[in-house]
Amino acid sequence: MISERLHKIICSTLGLQEDEVEIKDDTLANQVPGWDSLNHVNVITAIEKDFAVRFKSIEVLKCKNVGDLQKLVDSKINK
Amino acid sequence: MSRIEYAYSKTMWHRWAAIAEKFPEKEAIVHWVAGEEPIRWTYKNLIETANNFSVKLYEQGIRAKDVCAIIMKHNPYFYPMYMGIVGIGAIPSVLAFPNPRLHPDKFKQGLSGMTKYSGLDVIITQIDLESTLKPFVESGESTIKQILFPLEWDLNNSSVDSFEKAREIRENIKPTDSFLLQHSSGTTGLQKPVVLSHQALLDHVTQYGTALELDDSDKVVSWLPLYHDMGLIGAFQLPLASGITSIQIDTFEWILAPNLLFEAASDENATMCWLPNFAYNLMADKIPEDEIAGNDLSNFRMIINASEPIRSESHRKFTERFSKYNLKPNVLSTLYGMAEVTLALSQNPPNKPISELIVDRQKLAEGKLQLADNSTKVKRVCVSSGILIPDTELKIVDENRNELDGNSVGEIAVKSISLFDGYKNNPEKTKEVLFDGWYYSGDIGFVYQNEIYVIGRKKDIIIFAGKNIYPEDIEDVINQVPNIIQGRVVAFGEENEELGTEVISIVAETNLTSGQEFHKLKLEIIKAGMSIDVNIYNVYLVPPRWLIKSSSGKPARKTNKERILAGNDKTIWFEKRN
Repeated sequence: MISERLHKIICSTLGLQEDEVEIKDDTLANQVPGWDSLNHVNVITAIEKDFAVRFKSIEVLKCKNVGDLQKLVDSKINK
Repeated sequence: MSRIEYAYSKTMWHRWAAIAEKFPEKEAIVHWVAGEEPIRWTYKNLIETANNFSVKLYEQGIRAKDVCAIIMKHNPYFYPMYMGIVGIGAIPSVLAFPNPRLHPDKFKQGLSGMTKYSGLDVIITQIDLESTLKPFVESGESTIKQILFPLEWDLNNSSVDSFEKAREIRENIKPTDSFLLQHSSGTTGLQKPVVLSHQALLDHVTQYGTALELDDSDKVVSWLPLYHDMGLIGAFQLPLASGITSIQIDTFEWILAPNLLFEAASDENATMCWLPNFAYNLMADKIPEDEIAGNDLSNFRMIINASEPIRSESHRKFTERFSKYNLKPNVLSTLYGMAEVTLALSQNPPNKPISELIVDRQKLAEGKLQLADNSTKVKRVCVSSGILIPDTELKIVDENRNELDGNSVGEIAVKSISLFDGYKNNPEKTKEVLFDGWYYSGDIGFVYQNEIYVIGRKKDIIIFAGKNIYPEDIEDVINQVPNIIQGRVVAFGEENEELGTEVISIVAETNLTSGQEFHKLKLEIIKAGMSIDVNIYNVYLVPPRWLIKSSSGKPARKTNKERILAGNDKTIWFEKRN
């Protein structure tokens, strides 16, 4: 399940209000308004900053949906 | 290390076969996937597999001159499949694999529009698209007769007769027969199909390969999509027909992890690559230091900027950031070209620093070239796109297509040995741009000391990250969004220095009045853009009757863009992106 914190960071980076976008485990990045390939790096950087973690590009690349990204965040903060 | 010499070949297939015979074990293509061992095609393996595909395609009913659209993700079998189509005289055309955000109806609508001119006969794709495409093909709404899934085939069970038949067909292909179909620009139904013959491709490989001074140790690395002329011709056909290696990276992987280009280049000792301008900014700004550490860029001899306006600042950023990884001086280069001349028209020569001119912007707008001096109020840096490659000509013309003198700015008209014969099934469009052997490009530029400078475009086309987009395509879809006043929408390209490209902006009239309503409408506009796979960056909402109309009664893009960018109108609602 997508945490409130991750949802908030994504919306804030993309200039969206939290209640206007539903983000679920199987949501793909490009289904979220404004989350395009050029903006992707900004979303990832914002997540890294907020959670004080560091992702390798290859780890992010292997995330197929937001659920995978949540798992990646969890794996980093549980280390 | 020796310079590539281009011997005569009757067709592209004969060229590939000759290289495979001479250098069977040389790597033709290295198919790169992040985090995995690359898949390596030698020239021998590649042509043998391509032959197997030819035979299977023949058995499936594909015949000479059939236009075969390939819609496929990054896959190692793409290359022999493409060649296999060529090997039975059919005509391959690469189309973009639909992004998940693209609405299936819009995808089908785009395909349907495309078939009108391109006359697609067959779709060659992968099983994931079966449910989307099969009903469309079976409905008979288009010219498409058949849909094939070659990744599911067993290539080892064809009959001897089929092999013989495929060989016979191949020997009857003439140099003037069509080799490929590529689309020059546009997003959906507005794409213009350019058909090029075997001869045009062979000529282009010789003229451009010579200009680049290709030698047998060169290796091309690329993440460029193969539906784009720079990826298809520059990074796939040119190396393949020159007997050198290309390393192919997945476009989608590269955009998420831009260091993949350097990683692949460093591991494989790549010497050449082509990039659109935005990639210079993206790589300089977004590659984390710890990921690039250890990469060695010393093998690069040319990194060539093309496909969108070339920005001096992007080159500066790139050089500053990556020089410490052994990037040689004068590695950065430039190209000007278009699908209509196969790919290249001009090229900055190897090892030559790129010329830049500081000119008077005001004079430039008036159609005159004047170098800036201390009295110049507004200056502009223009970056050279190099000198003409062999067997090409260029002239600068006015609105009536009269040739202008040396210091004038005007439309660029070109001739080339590898010029196309016209847009397929579109004599009206062909007549507009092709006259007396000259192709009128619609690009605006000038020539200074034999070098070509491209400074803008005659038409309102938007170039976002190297991709040409017609504003009409975007306006059509935004016009359907509730609360937008019908026909009162303008789309335009807005320079974004940080990204090093133009981003797409919308100005639309609405009767809504509150900030909350504006925000919701902005979201709907962005979603409408997503439905045609277009990223809308800036949304400007304005009250009724705000937009100025042109004499044709439609909102004037240029005038309204200038009013928006002037930024002094309090009635404009705009929410800045983070």
